[in-house]
Amino acid sequence: MIADFVRILRAADIRVSPAETLDAAEIFDTIGFDDRQILKHALGQTLAKTETEKLAFDEAFESYFRLPEETPPPMAAAQEEGESDDKSAEQNSGEGQPQEGAQNGGDTSDSPEGGAPQSLTDMLENNDTAAMQAAMQQAATEAGLANAKLFTQQGMFSRRIMEAMGLAELEARIRQMNEGGETEKADKLREGRARLFDAVQDFVERQIAMRTKNAGRLLREDALSRIRLSNLDKSDMKIMRELIRKLAKRLASRHSRRRKKAQRGVLDIRRTMRANVAYDGKLFNLAWRRVKVERPKLIVLCDVSGSVAAVSRFFLMFLYSLDEVMPKTRSFVFSNRAGEITDVLQEGDLEEAMENALRQYGGGSTDYGMSMMDLAEATLDAVDKKTTLMVLGDARSNYGDPGHLVLKEFYERAGRVIFLNPEPETVWDTGDSEMKKLGAYCTHKQTCNSVKHVERVLDDLLRLSS
Amino acid sequence: MSKQKTARGAIEALMAGYEKLGYVSDEQIATALYLAQKLEKPLLVEGPPGVGKTELAKATAEYLGLNMIRLQCYEGLDEGKALYEWQYGKQLLYTQVLKEKLGDVMQGAKTLDESMTRLGGFEDVFFSEQFLQTRPLLEALRADDGIVLLIDEIDKSDDEFEAFLLEILSDYQISIPELGTVKAKKPPLVFLTSNNTREIGDALKRRCLHLYIPFPDAERENTILQARVPELDDGLRANVVNFVQAVRDMDLKKPPAVSETIDWARTVVLLNMNVLEADFVKNTLNVLLKFKSDIENVESDLPRLMRESQSPEAAAE
Repeated sequence: MIADFVRILRAADIRVSPAETLDAAEIFDTIGFDDRQILKHALGQTLAKTETEKLAFDEAFESYFRLPEETPPPMAAAQEEGESDDKSAEQNSGEGQPQEGAQNGGDTSDSPEGGAPQSLTDMLENNDTAAMQAAMQQAATEAGLANAKLFTQQGMFSRRIMEAMGLAELEARIRQMNEGGETEKADKLREGRARLFDAVQDFVERQIAMRTKNAGRLLREDALSRIRLSNLDKSDMKIMRELIRKLAKRLASRHSRRRKKAQRGVLDIRRTMRANVAYDGKLFNLAWRRVKVERPKLIVLCDVSGSVAAVSRFFLMFLYSLDEVMPKTRSFVFSNRAGEITDVLQEGDLEEAMENALRQYGGGSTDYGMSMMDLAEATLDAVDKKTTLMVLGDARSNYGDPGHLVLKEFYERAGRVIFLNPEPETVWDTGDSEMKKLGAYCTHKQTCNSVKHVERVLDDLLRLSS
Repeated sequence: MSKQKTARGAIEALMAGYEKLGYVSDEQIATALYLAQKLEKPLLVEGPPGVGKTELAKATAEYLGLNMIRLQCYEGLDEGKALYEWQYGKQLLYTQVLKEKLGDVMQGAKTLDESMTRLGGFEDVFFSEQFLQTRPLLEALRADDGIVLLIDEIDKSDDEFEAFLLEILSDYQISIPELGTVKAKKPPLVFLTSNNTREIGDALKRRCLHLYIPFPDAERENTILQARVPELDDGLRANVVNFVQAVRDMDLKKPPAVSETIDWARTVVLLNMNVLEADFVKNTLNVLLKFKSDIENVESDLPRLMRESQSPEAAAE
């Protein structure tokens, strides 16, 4: 049961490790099923470890541990406690669970054939909802419901579960009663059977819905990260943005803490000697050799002209995420003239920043020569060996000056010049593309048109710098 | 059945106990505390600044009647400052003394081997308790009857330090090369707090229970104020809480935290206010908000906020 719940959590995009599963088992042990609310808190604290995961967890918990509120049995009504929430109906049926859980808590997980303690007939006759629920869970495990992937499998699984719960025996009993003249009893059982059938169907439906909910989204995200950016649909933009944000965060956590790496253990003899002259050469204060890792200074020039309109939004998103990962980034966009948007990116949110940038600079026809000059004017003085210049664009300059001579100056001063082109390499240098001229002054040039590419480029960049 | 009942009871007892100490918890927090003690697992507390993460650890120490050791994390914190260090200066002095006595020690030693053996006897002395400077983590492990260890703002430390914590947090033991493994006599109750300035590593998260404390809702904030600033009368307190809640709904750089609400409530008491007046609010906004742009934002919206703080029902409409 725990394993099953964990599987559902994983489907809901929550990362649960085996060790955490063990912890969860321990929690079931200490808390029990008795108090739903506390169980929820406790499990949430062990299994979901970020805010987003918490939300997903709450949802999954609610749907997994919701018990069907069919036919309130009289004994449940008697147990009604002063719980003020609206979930009291569920809680009541939950109350019944622990005895059952205590009895076959062990065999639900490993040996399903351990045998239900009650026969289905008894359960129906006694109207024992809790027992029925437990039996249903167990039957579901036997039937392999956890592996269900498609909605169309619903009918099959309902049937299997009913059978596993002892449908055949129940039918036999009804027939026997009919023949024995106990029609009233038989009717009652039949009625119970119908109710059970509904319950099972409902149960299966919910389970399948729960398991398949996220599969679709995951599939889509995966596909999106590979798709060419120019082919992106507007409706995908939202997921895309989420993806980029995730990417930026991942990169940030991977690289943010490398700035000052003190290599303890290697003695810096020169500094030690100097520091201890005052102590008559006795080595009182030891100085250790330190390696200071500087984050790269990054200048990004991003094309937002008409020719790359389809991908310029993506470029801007990329810039925005860069800004989060590397705070020393200066961002420029251009179509015919270049302008700095560092501040724009640092203020408002992504959407706003993108609109701003595009409105101000976007849409015009490309002029690499002029833009390069603008960029040089603004930054060239500050460029040194620690600087990386990154150009995002298609290198199509409308047969004008591609600005390669300015780029050459950058190339000579900067640590690295990277050219990221959304076009595949095969169409570089066709038409007005000036990749050859510009590419001569680049340390790296690369096709970059999907999120996967971006991640690789950024990762390399950060690694090289540290 | 009984153990479930005890869980519920214990958690409620915890809540009541903390409230007596002036820390208003809720079921979520109490459950986390209960589990942390029951399962002997460290508790990672996350949440925006000023919601009482550190306070929680302090209250726990008080509640359990234990000492608390606090380790404030910062960038560049390493095991030398967190765990132990050899007192190099002292060792050096000792060497000097030894040098002077060397003649005595060596007296009568005929061969080089013999003198080496004699010297060898001193070697162990250098790396013994005598020269060991214990730091918070080692102290926590050595405490005899349990202790509350607060590792504050773990997100400010480096990745390396986080990795280094893993051994301590999962087994409550630490290996010192020169001395061997130190194991806690009684596992300390560990709190880690984080403001989420960076993602904590999965390995660390996996070993901890995770508690997220959000800004409190109006009701809980009211109770907190009641506990912390009892001088404030009921009506005014409700106004203060409503005002702060409304301010939090705005788009601010740094929304006011609980600690700031408490400060503000104290200001109200100190200045003997009977009602929240617009002028007063305007003049004391700097207690609540810490950014100029935020203050300006709130000031421009003051009439609406004042209205809402008087009657929250009107705001809902």
